[in-house]
Amino acid sequence: MNIRKLISLWIFTVSTVVAILGFWALATRMDVEYWMFFVALTLISASYYLSGIYHHMTEKDMNGVFMLFYASIVLMVAAFSFYLPEILDMRQWEINARIPNFFFYSLSMLFLGIFSSYLSFRPFYNFKKEGAQMGAYYMLYITMIFTLIPLFVILFNIVYRGAGGITWEFLTEDIISMGERGGVYPAILGTLALILVTAVIVLPLGVGTAIYLAEYARKGLAVRVIRTAVNILQGTPSIVHGLFGYAFFVLILFDGQKCLLAGALTLAILTLPIVIRSAEEALNAVPGDLRDASLALGASKWQTIKKVVLPPSLPGILTGTVLGLGRAAGETAPIMFTAVYFSGAGTPSSLLRPIQALPYHLLSLYRLIGYRDVDLQAWATALLLLIIVLGVNVSAIIIREKYRQRF
Amino acid sequence: MFEKFKELLKEEMRCERKELPKGIKMQVESFNLWYGKTQAIKSVNMDLKENKITAIIGPSGCGKSTLIRGLNRMNDTISSVKTEGKVWLDGFNIYDSTTDCVDVRRQVGMVFQKPNPFPFSIADNIYYGCEVNGMKVEKDEVVERCLKQSALWDEVKDRLDENALSLSGGQQQRLCIARALATEPEVILMDEPCSALDPIATAKIEDLIDELKNHYTVVIVTHNMQQAARVSDYTAYMYLGELIEFGDTTQIFENPQENSTEKYITGRFG
Repeated sequence: MNIRKLISLWIFTVSTVVAILGFWALATRMDVEYWMFFVALTLISASYYLSGIYHHMTEKDMNGVFMLFYASIVLMVAAFSFYLPEILDMRQWEINARIPNFFFYSLSMLFLGIFSSYLSFRPFYNFKKEGAQMGAYYMLYITMIFTLIPLFVILFNIVYRGAGGITWEFLTEDIISMGERGGVYPAILGTLALILVTAVIVLPLGVGTAIYLAEYARKGLAVRVIRTAVNILQGTPSIVHGLFGYAFFVLILFDGQKCLLAGALTLAILTLPIVIRSAEEALNAVPGDLRDASLALGASKWQTIKKVVLPPSLPGILTGTVLGLGRAAGETAPIMFTAVYFSGAGTPSSLLRPIQALPYHLLSLYRLIGYRDVDLQAWATALLLLIIVLGVNVSAIIIREKYRQRF
Repeated sequence: MFEKFKELLKEEMRCERKELPKGIKMQVESFNLWYGKTQAIKSVNMDLKENKITAIIGPSGCGKSTLIRGLNRMNDTISSVKTEGKVWLDGFNIYDSTTDCVDVRRQVGMVFQKPNPFPFSIADNIYYGCEVNGMKVEKDEVVERCLKQSALWDEVKDRLDENALSLSGGQQQRLCIARALATEPEVILMDEPCSALDPIATAKIEDLIDELKNHYTVVIVTHNMQQAARVSDYTAYMYLGELIEFGDTTQIFENPQENSTEKYITGRFG
């Protein structure tokens, strides 16, 4: 290991520490004082200078370093200008010696750290092309980390706050006094019933449409219109689905009575595009060779679909359906007007009776916060809903892995 | 009036018949085919002799695959295809409005360029044709007969329940031939059956084709002129959708009548 590599490592370490510090300050609303930013900037630039790497750098590398400093300065100016009126006032300056502006400084430190650690890759690989490549990998890796952070923060938060509320009583008892006491047993059953009935409705409709689109329909205007319609359906806000469900299913079909079936029908419309798309993709993934082979043996088109095309695409179709149902299980808006009562509905007993469901129960608990002591119940309900949706998705993954077919 | 209506119905169902000369299994009569607006086959006339092997050669894009797919109406699966003309099989026109194309495909089997066994077991692959055609046959018997006919029996007899995709490429292609034999066809069409295989597997398939000649009429499309010379009894040379020359294989290869055929065979183009 030569000295240049050691120095690069040193710069990388310092920059990473600065980045982590910046992120931590951002996440915890820690007050970063402006001099901390200057310390970081000085530390990094001093490392660069002392390392003597300057002497070996090409013009391009130098541009990188300069860009780093320009960017930092721009961020600094932005931070200052945000508080410019106060800063210009000397009396204010005295009072606000510690500028309570954690956001800009921590963000600057974060960017500074990431960017200068990225810059340390080229000297580490002796200014060869490999260095630029590793630097690019590093940046992609950082991007990936940043997409994962919210997921883990949400998961951790909900588990941390809700786990204490999940007890045997919570899982098995009725909802008492709007959720303040008792459990959420009827809501769990209601959500599961919704998923089940929705699956029964959506599976034949979606798979049938997908088979028509993928196998029978001639490529032309009609198919394009259907596809566009499916896409529009997928892009429709769920509250619109809910209102449609209320206006059509509840008011016209069920005489103004909210019920399980109306909710399931609405959710079926919501999940239909997902099911159609995934089923169509699964059907199209079956090679055309196999269809030709089957037809050449004297099989009719329907026999070909039944025996050759459907079996290998079934895992894909089921995965898509289950993922769609996972989405449906967590939706509030579509069932709000069509299926659920906020209390007193009891366990689901009939297709034509209203139910209670976890997402809506969560919403009503949220509305109670501040008036009643329901914080723990709300977090526990959120955790439970998360577990159910996660369970549905995991089962989709298991189906896909177990029955996946290769050609 | 009712009688007249019945008469009309009968008229509708009556199909055209033609007595083919002895020894001729299929006859292509002024056959034209269009993909949308481009004409791919231009009034081809050709006789396919019973229990003989006919090879179709020609440069890429000359319509030889399209022609062979026209012999069992596989082109019907492409929506833009239009056809004109007649193809006689044992005195019936397979393009007649009364003919069921599914039925035609049972009588005229086909083997494709890429081995394409179904992802089922080896035995199920072979029985599939019988199953979809509702043939009342013993599964074990059919499987054994077809595998023996396609010289695959000794290699796979102990693992008939294994997935067909576990076989090697050459074995898969022989399985595809065996599968085509299960529906008891009279004609077998092969669309470049060896183009995805190595020389040893190719040699095996060529031996097999020679064997099949005793029971079936074989039509083979090939890019490989040596192969055409080796296996076939008759050769057709196609160029730009037209049938340029058709005749005895030895005659085509040794004494071609057309200038274009000679050029192609001697390798001056194509």
